[in-house]
Amino acid sequence: MGHDTAEWVFVAIVIAVLCYVGVDSWMIQKEVEDVPADAEIIKVTGQQWYWSFEHPNGTKEVNTLHLKVNHAYKFEIYSRDVMHSFNIPDWVVFEDAVPGHTNHAWFAPNEVGTYPIQCREYCGLLHYNMRGSLVVEPNT
Amino acid sequence: MKTTLIAISIIAVLGVALVSQIHFAHAQLSQTTSAKQYLNLRAEVWNEFFRMTTAAFTVGAIVSGTMIWLVWRFRESNPKNKSPTKWEHLEDPTAGSYEEEGH
Amino acid sequence: MVLELQKPRPVWQIMFSTHHTDVGYLYLVFGITFLFMGGVLAMIIRTHLFFPGQNVLVSDSATFNRIFTVHGLTMLFLFALPVANGIGNILVPIMVRYKDMAYPKLNAIAFWMNPVGAALLWLGFADTTWVSYAPYSIIRAPGPAADMFIFGMKILGISSILSSINFVVTVLKCKHPDLPLRRVPLFAWSMLTVSLMTIVAMPTYAAALIMMLTDRLGLSGFFNPFAGGDPIAYLHLFWFTFHPEVYIFLLPAIGMMYEIIPRFSRKPLYSQASGVFAFVMLGIIGFASWGHHMYSTGMDFTTKVVFMIGTLAAVPASGMHVFNFLATMWGGRIRFAAPMKFAVGGIALFFSAGAGGVLNSAMPLDFISHGTYWVVGHMHLFLIGTIGFGFVAMIYYMFPYVTGRMYNEKWASAHFVLMFWGTVQTFFTQHLLGLEGMPRRVYDYPTDFTSWTQLNQISTVGAWLIGASFVIFLASLIYYSAKGKPANMDDPWGIGGKYYYPVSAKNPHGGHSGY
Repeated sequence: MGHDTAEWVFVAIVIAVLCYVGVDSWMIQKEVEDVPADAEIIKVTGQQWYWSFEHPNGTKEVNTLHLKVNHAYKFEIYSRDVMHSFNIPDWVVFEDAVPGHTNHAWFAPNEVGTYPIQCREYCGLLHYNMRGSLVVEPNT
Repeated sequence: MKTTLIAISIIAVLGVALVSQIHFAHAQLSQTTSAKQYLNLRAEVWNEFFRMTTAAFTVGAIVSGTMIWLVWRFRESNPKNKSPTKWEHLEDPTAGSYEEEGH
Repeated sequence: MVLELQKPRPVWQIMFSTHHTDVGYLYLVFGITFLFMGGVLAMIIRTHLFFPGQNVLVSDSATFNRIFTVHGLTMLFLFALPVANGIGNILVPIMVRYKDMAYPKLNAIAFWMNPVGAALLWLGFADTTWVSYAPYSIIRAPGPAADMFIFGMKILGISSILSSINFVVTVLKCKHPDLPLRRVPLFAWSMLTVSLMTIVAMPTYAAALIMMLTDRLGLSGFFNPFAGGDPIAYLHLFWFTFHPEVYIFLLPAIGMMYEIIPRFSRKPLYSQASGVFAFVMLGIIGFASWGHHMYSTGMDFTTKVVFMIGTLAAVPASGMHVFNFLATMWGGRIRFAAPMKFAVGGIALFFSAGAGGVLNSAMPLDFISHGTYWVVGHMHLFLIGTIGFGFVAMIYYMFPYVTGRMYNEKWASAHFVLMFWGTVQTFFTQHLLGLEGMPRRVYDYPTDFTSWTQLNQISTVGAWLIGASFVIFLASLIYYSAKGKPANMDDPWGIGGKYYYPVSAKNPHGGHSGY
């Protein structure tokens, strides 16, 4: 072993930290991907350069999404042209909109307020301005 | 012996830093604020982020502390480094590595 | 020496030469030229983002998108690869004790494809981003620009495959029979590793480029969802090449640090074997992690876990490099001349970039970091912090060998301080900007969030510091290669002993035992 011991100890510490990172993120990811059964499905469609939303009752909205507080929502994310990325930074909602694929994200807002919605995947000329807003309304 | 001590103390520091995080991991599960008991996705993810940054900054403090100490201690202008080291008596001190000619 | 500005060799003599030092010199001049061209684009980008809602320097998003696309392409393929190849060309044949590269003419051809590729990229000025994700690059990217991008990348890809073949043959077949492979210096090992990786990785992207071209022409629909294709396929092909490519950019810089750190520490390397092992490990595991760029594309849980493990598996090998560097410095008597300053600064930033990388690999944190400025900060810490610092260190280290003259240590120190401070300020701030949620590749950002504005301004000031440091670099490169004091070629830094590798290895009768 000789002077290699120090290096092996070092590598062992690194591997221990990495195992911690791996196990922790495995657990959290497992939890986070578990969508509540009663989540209401919102269809989200990205296209150059705006978001449109469709509620289960057929109501359609463009760029501004109105949701109720303390209620779970599951987003079905589509794209009509190029790749976009549906993102509500304040609620850690993030998933790509890929044409030809249906992607999912979910969240359950527990605070009333207005939050920005944005596109996080480069989609051309007005990518920077592909912004909307989420309005979480009190549950009446 | 010395290296073992150093290694044990590093592991201890890391252990203390990480074990203290455990209650954060379960804090969310025991919370009963929302009426319908949905998982608070954003809190889960951000809590993980802060646990990871704690680990990263702990390791970072050790590594960068070691680097700063190394740079301070083994600069040639340090009075303790006036005399040439044993390696400088080799014909070409940079050739090869410890494995053959270091000891 | 390759270059003597007081008694210059005719330019055509260098240009039409196939000698490895001349080709290496051409690579270096080419790479450094494009470093400054890409740097100007970076300054435009950062200055533009100083104020939200203002048209500073760039007045439309179409131009801005083109600028950051070409900035990325330039820095990766016209700066990082050519400079690594240039220094590799100069040093690898010396290190394996052969008279030249294995195929000198192939070497020159591989270099001369670079200006052609560069011309296509710069004259086209595409707006596809350097990743050129389908279907944007197929159905929406405008006109000849995107096609010129495809052909430019194609040519650069072929060039890097050719030069890789050359390095592999030079190291494996042309090395001196007395020199066992495990004793080959680690810089040559790094070039060998990245060359093997290029040969494995690059053909995939070459195929993807052709598929993209036929898709653009409407002949096929591989990646076009409106013709039955799948854009995710493009992402897999792209990242299968370009995640390993990250290590292809990185490892030569690590190899350069291996060349510099023992010399200026006046010590043998801590462990040659662990350096070789870590290079080979990175070279293999680098192929197991491409999917972490695609967590958010609708990947299922199991696939994410596999790629997370693949990503984390690359960390111990990188850690071994850091350990090796620190253990080499331990107990030495370190002279902090410019190459050593940059190498040590590079290790510090390499570590912080790596720590950020571990956070990136954690699947849930992808929700926070992916596609934001966090990623921009992270990969620039690698690209400037490690690759930039390693290359600059090596350029200062090679300066006496190439020019026969000495740079000015004071100006080099000023360069180091400004560059280190600027890198930390610019890119650590961009991590915070990412946590605040600012997407990357944006022409403008809303004025609603004061923290975005403030962090962007801090980051921009840092970028100006980096810019200033490189003005110093360019001026001192030019001035001291013509007017610098003649260097003592046996020992340019006065470290004692015959340390200076390129010279001592070329004159084995000078008392140098060699590797």
